[in-house]
Amino acid sequence: MAQETKTREEAESGSNGHRYVGQRQTRTDGAAKVTGTTVYADDMKLPRMLHAKILGSPYAHGRLKGIDTVKARQFPGVAAVITHADLPEYKKSPSNRRGIVFPYDEILFYGQPIAAVLASDPDVAEQALALIELNIEALPPVLDPVEAMKPDAPLVRSTLTDIDRSEEQGHVAVDLESGDKEGRPSNVASETPFKRGDVEAGFAEADVVIERTWRSSMTHQSYIEPHSTIADFDAAGELSVWTSTQAPFYIRDELADALGLPESRVRVTATEVGGGFGGKIYLTELMVSLLAMAVRRPVKYIMSRHEDMLAATPAPFAQVELKTGMKRDGTLTAIQTKLIYDSGAFPGAAVPAGATAIGMYYKCANIDIVGYEVLTNKVSVGALRAPAAHNATFAIECHMDIMAKELRLDPIEVRLKNVAEEGDPLPSGQAYPRIGLRECLEAISESEVWKGRAAASAHPNRGVGIAVGGWMGGLQPASAMVCLNPDGTVNVTVGSADITGVNTSFQAITAEVLDIPPDRVHVGYGDTKTAPFAGMSAGSKTMYTVGRAVKLAAEDAKEQMLSIAAQRLETTPEELEVSNGTVRVKDDPDKSLTFTRLGRWTTNFGAPFPVIIGRGSITARKVAPGFTAQAAEVEIDPDTGEVTVRKYAIAQDAGFAINPLSVEGQMQGGVSQGIGLALWEEMLYDDQGRLLNGNLLDYRLPTTRDLPNIETIIVEVPSEEGPYGARIIGEPSIVAGLAVIDNAIADATGVWLSESPFTPERVLRATGKL
Amino acid sequence: MPKQIINLKVNGEQHEVAVEPNWTLLATVREALSFTGSKEGCGTGDCGACSMIVDGRLITSCLMLAPEANGREITSIEGLAKDGQLNHVQQAFIDTGGVQCGFCTPGMVMAATDLLNLNKQPTFQEIRDGLAGNLCRCTGYTKIYQAVELAAQRMTSGE
Repeated sequence: MAQETKTREEAESGSNGHRYVGQRQTRTDGAAKVTGTTVYADDMKLPRMLHAKILGSPYAHGRLKGIDTVKARQFPGVAAVITHADLPEYKKSPSNRRGIVFPYDEILFYGQPIAAVLASDPDVAEQALALIELNIEALPPVLDPVEAMKPDAPLVRSTLTDIDRSEEQGHVAVDLESGDKEGRPSNVASETPFKRGDVEAGFAEADVVIERTWRSSMTHQSYIEPHSTIADFDAAGELSVWTSTQAPFYIRDELADALGLPESRVRVTATEVGGGFGGKIYLTELMVSLLAMAVRRPVKYIMSRHEDMLAATPAPFAQVELKTGMKRDGTLTAIQTKLIYDSGAFPGAAVPAGATAIGMYYKCANIDIVGYEVLTNKVSVGALRAPAAHNATFAIECHMDIMAKELRLDPIEVRLKNVAEEGDPLPSGQAYPRIGLRECLEAISESEVWKGRAAASAHPNRGVGIAVGGWMGGLQPASAMVCLNPDGTVNVTVGSADITGVNTSFQAITAEVLDIPPDRVHVGYGDTKTAPFAGMSAGSKTMYTVGRAVKLAAEDAKEQMLSIAAQRLETTPEELEVSNGTVRVKDDPDKSLTFTRLGRWTTNFGAPFPVIIGRGSITARKVAPGFTAQAAEVEIDPDTGEVTVRKYAIAQDAGFAINPLSVEGQMQGGVSQGIGLALWEEMLYDDQGRLLNGNLLDYRLPTTRDLPNIETIIVEVPSEEGPYGARIIGEPSIVAGLAVIDNAIADATGVWLSESPFTPERVLRATGKL
Repeated sequence: MPKQIINLKVNGEQHEVAVEPNWTLLATVREALSFTGSKEGCGTGDCGACSMIVDGRLITSCLMLAPEANGREITSIEGLAKDGQLNHVQQAFIDTGGVQCGFCTPGMVMAATDLLNLNKQPTFQEIRDGLAGNLCRCTGYTKIYQAVELAAQRMTSGE
């Protein structure tokens, strides 16, 4: 009976005979989180710890002539005031955001940190900030990237050399080699060209050619936990950092390099991450470490929401000029595009990823793509969930609908006709492995939202739209350990920060391999001194890489257990199997040993066998791109122009959903962010480069009033190397939202909005009502 | 400014605390009483991560000054589970996958608990209205709606 139940569950979940992977597992950290006992960085205190408050620049561009800190230093309760002149020596690299802690000359963006006040009482530090006197020669800021890239444009800053691209490479495994300028000073930090075929010939054979310009806003990741870091430099010369980061080992390497410390003497602990979405890689850690080194006391710095919006690493504005051609039968004949990303004051926009995205969904013989990363006097950007992809996808996916409409073709049919598949070239020329974009399109055509299209069209102000999205994913080595305890339970140790619930999935993988109940497996995260290496939790690669390492480590532990059991049961390991916490002889299941016994035999005093410690270590060289197709039904208020999302569905290829519950959560979360980018989110700057809406009221995030239930359809086209066929999951879900909503608006109104977010004002203007 | 003494009942226990007049209730509960479950996501009452129930009413504790809380009864996220037993809302958030990064969760659970205290069987729209003061960036809210529906159902059926 039990067997039958299991089989039915498996059939429902599509888990192909697996016992734990493929099943819905609730998060192992759930109870701690719902009771408020999970410890985030701001919940920690160290003895004699000081709080840092930071003075940000009141100008977007200027020259620092002097800082007078006398009054601030004399303020009662202030322990120290630190400017660039007070910092310990570190390796400066002015071309990179983290390589310049406090400016000593050029000021490059509004809110750029200039000095710190340290005090035991954060309120005292805050009050003393106002007593620091800055002497800054204000310079006119360069703010518009389209203007800034013109040859005669005033320069944003002094010339850059040796740009460090390591952070961007953590997010995506596309070639990040960038074209170079001819030595002339310029605000263009990089250029990414991709060419194939002959676009002019492609346009000549097209029956419809569409040329439009698309602009998408500068946005903020808006994790609910702001950046939070504590650092301590002890008497032995060891640096310890507790920080809300996706990338503990990356920070270790960067800190060691900047501070001239051996990596073995830097301990970075990724505290629980209260949301990251690509924005929490490496930002304040060098500054806080230097402050701690300067005063030889632990220092905590928690960004206020306003500071986080002013001076973290938001996501870039982009302008995409796109020209596409299509034959009457729906064949896409040419893509010609120029993408301009506003990187802010330092390089960091993932332009190659955007330039890839615009040409990666469809077969197209003729492409001419060039992406530009342009500097301006704004805060420099970083990653937001599939960085740069949504801006580009907005353009190409609206074009697909516009061309389909011109040719009176069905939007899904026209996409299926051109859809990229295994073996097709990416814009870089690299060939696709097996992917599931076609399957996602087929799945979304079966969604309630898409099937309700006719009913929606009958309503005068409603429309339904679809679009696809995708992401290549990142690649990086990873490792894991699996140890057997004396009571037969198992400890798994990894070095990756768990930002999506992967530890729960690692538990399921280990339970699957060893055939023990998941609650007998504990997955622990270690710091950079105790855990085996893992790449940053970015690029959607944690399950794909660390998950593989965990599986290998569990298999290694199992092999060791079978080898010991074989000696005791007087047989060979090949004759043995694990079953529900025991090792037994396949043909004679009564001959068995419990894991508990094996645990004791490998740990107790005088135990006869060595400790069971499984080792998993991998490198990842093959990408497992993830795709999604999404559909929305919107209603437009004809009087106010307000767009309401009535229904939304997402189909996504997970390869294999190790934990469908968390895969759905990733799909829904990314969709909500995509809707936010489409309808509300925009960082607004005035003509002096000052942020106008640096708070969560005026920077409008999606609320419960805005979002309907999001229908999820998990598609499973297995990857070659991922554990059980899993592929990248976290990022693709955000990519399609802009185009989905715009296509739905167009279905209702007949016009596409060229600029996001699609505010009521823009809707009214586009529909000729304003 | 001189500190002043306030008395408040937090999660069933009476506390006497010396506070600066400009301290918020959130800072007082987190720093002076070490109940760190309530979070500061914005400090301006926009995100709801600091939500507490004060004298039966849901508030954002980053906007209430500590002296205003004098003599009041306060429940923070730490006060919901009784004898290690999660309340229905807490359990339902786990079961439906309504928890991801966890930073909004304490405030969201407080808001959902307050909603169900006031309305045992909210409609879908009432759930969406009831939680509109709490931002979650991870879930897209679908699994949070499901959590509230599940909690309401379990409370009604007396599970």
